Amino acid sequence: MSVDVGVTTAVSARDADRAAPLPSRRVLIAPVTVTPTKPLTPSHLKGLLWTDVMFRATAQVADAEYRYSPTTYHLTEQTLGFWEFLDRVHGDTDFASLSETEIGDLYVGFRAEPERVPAAALRPYERAVEESGWVHPAASRMLAAWRGHYARLGMHDPGLTRHQPPGWDLDTMIDRLGALGMCLDLRRHGGPVYADATRFGMPLRTIVGADGRPNYLACALRELLPLSARHDEIVLLCDADLEPDYRLLQRVLEQAGPIVHRVTLGRVPIDGRIRSARAGDWHDLHAQALLDRAHESHGADNDAVRLGMRLYFIATLGPGSRQSFRADLLASCLDRAQRLLTYGHAEDPSRAEEFVGPFRAARGTAAYVDPYRLTSRLLARHRPPANRPVLEAVYL
Amino acid sequence: MTISSFLSAPTLDAPLLHAEAARRLRTARPELAVRFDLATAEGLRAAHETVAQGQDAGCDTGGVAGDAPGVPTAGGSDELADVQAVVVLRSLDLASWLRGTCEFGLGLPPTSAAAWRRSFTRTVFLAGNPENLGARFVFDHVASDSSAAWIAPGPASETLALRRLLTVFHGTADLPRLPSGPVVLSAPTTGTGSVPAPLWPAVPHIAHVATAGSSLVDCLVDLNHLLAEAVLDGRVRPGDSLELRRAPVLSGVRGPFTAVRVMPDAADPGRLRARACLT
Repeated sequence: MSVDVGVTTAVSARDADRAAPLPSRRVLIAPVTVTPTKPLTPSHLKGLLWTDVMFRATAQVADAEYRYSPTTYHLTEQTLGFWEFLDRVHGDTDFASLSETEIGDLYVGFRAEPERVPAAALRPYERAVEESGWVHPAASRMLAAWRGHYARLGMHDPGLTRHQPPGWDLDTMIDRLGALGMCLDLRRHGGPVYADATRFGMPLRTIVGADGRPNYLACALRELLPLSARHDEIVLLCDADLEPDYRLLQRVLEQAGPIVHRVTLGRVPIDGRIRSARAGDWHDLHAQALLDRAHESHGADNDAVRLGMRLYFIATLGPGSRQSFRADLLASCLDRAQRLLTYGHAEDPSRAEEFVGPFRAARGTAAYVDPYRLTSRLLARHRPPANRPVLEAVYL
Repeated sequence: MTISSFLSAPTLDAPLLHAEAARRLRTARPELAVRFDLATAEGLRAAHETVAQGQDAGCDTGGVAGDAPGVPTAGGSDELADVQAVVVLRSLDLASWLRGTCEFGLGLPPTSAAAWRRSFTRTVFLAGNPENLGARFVFDHVASDSSAAWIAPGPASETLALRRLLTVFHGTADLPRLPSGPVVLSAPTTGTGSVPAPLWPAVPHIAHVATAGSSLVDCLVDLNHLLAEAVLDGRVRPGDSLELRRAPVLSGVRGPFTAVRVMPDAADPGRLRARACLT
């Protein structure tokens, strides 16, 4: 299989020289956060499984941290707007009793509204999140459901339902961004706040609108800028649509000191088309449905499901977006996983850190492990299979 | 050479506004005087509409504040290309911006100034930090506190890269606090050689801007045109000082007037308004 969108890294020789030795390097893995407004699609699963393998493999060879905070991104228009819509239009609903797909259908209704509400309508929600970590029942319901999927998939739960506020408030972040010479603050004149990476040839990017509303990038900066000082290396994961934002984010975080890598993953087309969440593209391909079908076909073999899902979403689909989702290929990955788990002899004797070590990204200069190359190694036909402890450490 | 106030009427009455609007159009685009009877209200209005339509029709992408046509008007085989100046603002410090606007104009070579006058001193206001741009772009004038920087008039294509990197300067608040005292204009620091000592006494100017119905950017646009044209006409010179005053409307300002910026009322194009003036 060929790779059309690969791993992008930005490492300067200067940084590599002065960086801590690889095993003690403090690595922060920060994927884009999925807003709890709709079920997890195959595209989401790909990103989350990719991140899970990256984190657990990297943890074998470095001091790895996985940062994923729904709390931080509750403040985006997408989420707050959805909550306001739910209360205004469907206020009598018992959200806690809805299924993921029912909530997702309500989200499609929200996106179909012709007009956005003014910023003032979202302020009570914004205040509640900031002051007391309040979460709308629909979001709590969704995040709780996702914890269930994570458990079935054996994925590390980075705190889906835990209150994890970003390190800095908005004004502090704007102030520190300014100290890096990368902020253009026109609030005094009734204008927006921009992240300014024009020094690097990147266009100005709004982070707070003229109406005072911060966007996703503002939230990400509040979360990641304060963490930059505590890490030697940061890995950002996003999909292709967010690449301009993430390129900017990479530049800003680099100015704060760490080496910053950016990994862009292509989404998973369904029947040849990449559909947006607005249209409701989950139908029977969301996480719950895929997991239920996998368990039906492969009995009570949790391990085969966990390993097989990763073989499919990481090694088979690869980092690009050329291949549409195929249930038959997923099924053969589940079969293959079963075989790998029952093989039991002539296995590679390496311990986990030895096994994953050669798959460090950027030709071995990065501390983080490339999940695609590592998982492809599991499928290599003329190499001894990985032993059980390795699989348990990273894949099960 | 002595400066004489050319508009000796005591107040900004309708005849004065009409005469000044006509004079401006005639100065910038003589062919408009041939095509329209600028002495009549209908003629003036038609000429203004032609200018505005030219701006809408031929303009390149956003970031343009001003009232110059984007396509050449009728008549004349030797059409000069439309030009526009660019000002990049990190934040608006009025004293710095006023001084910079005048000194930028004072430093323009004559051909550039003439082309700009013909384009109605069209100016694009962009939000950006000159300190982050100096390595990639050449500025013709930079304010001493680096809060603003100017690029001399040229075809729009010459600043395309910069305009793609930055964005239109947006500001819905009021004009910020006025400078506490007059701003003194020094001689231009760039341009053609050294500047001789002034042969005339320094003139203290007062710039008045109308704020009713005008956003921050509207006020900047009006002041920009007023000052740029006054500088190009030689009515504001190095060594002069400038004080800024604002009022909802300018009907109470007493002449004589050094310059007046007159534009059709947005809501009622048959009516002319004084948006800014110099006394």
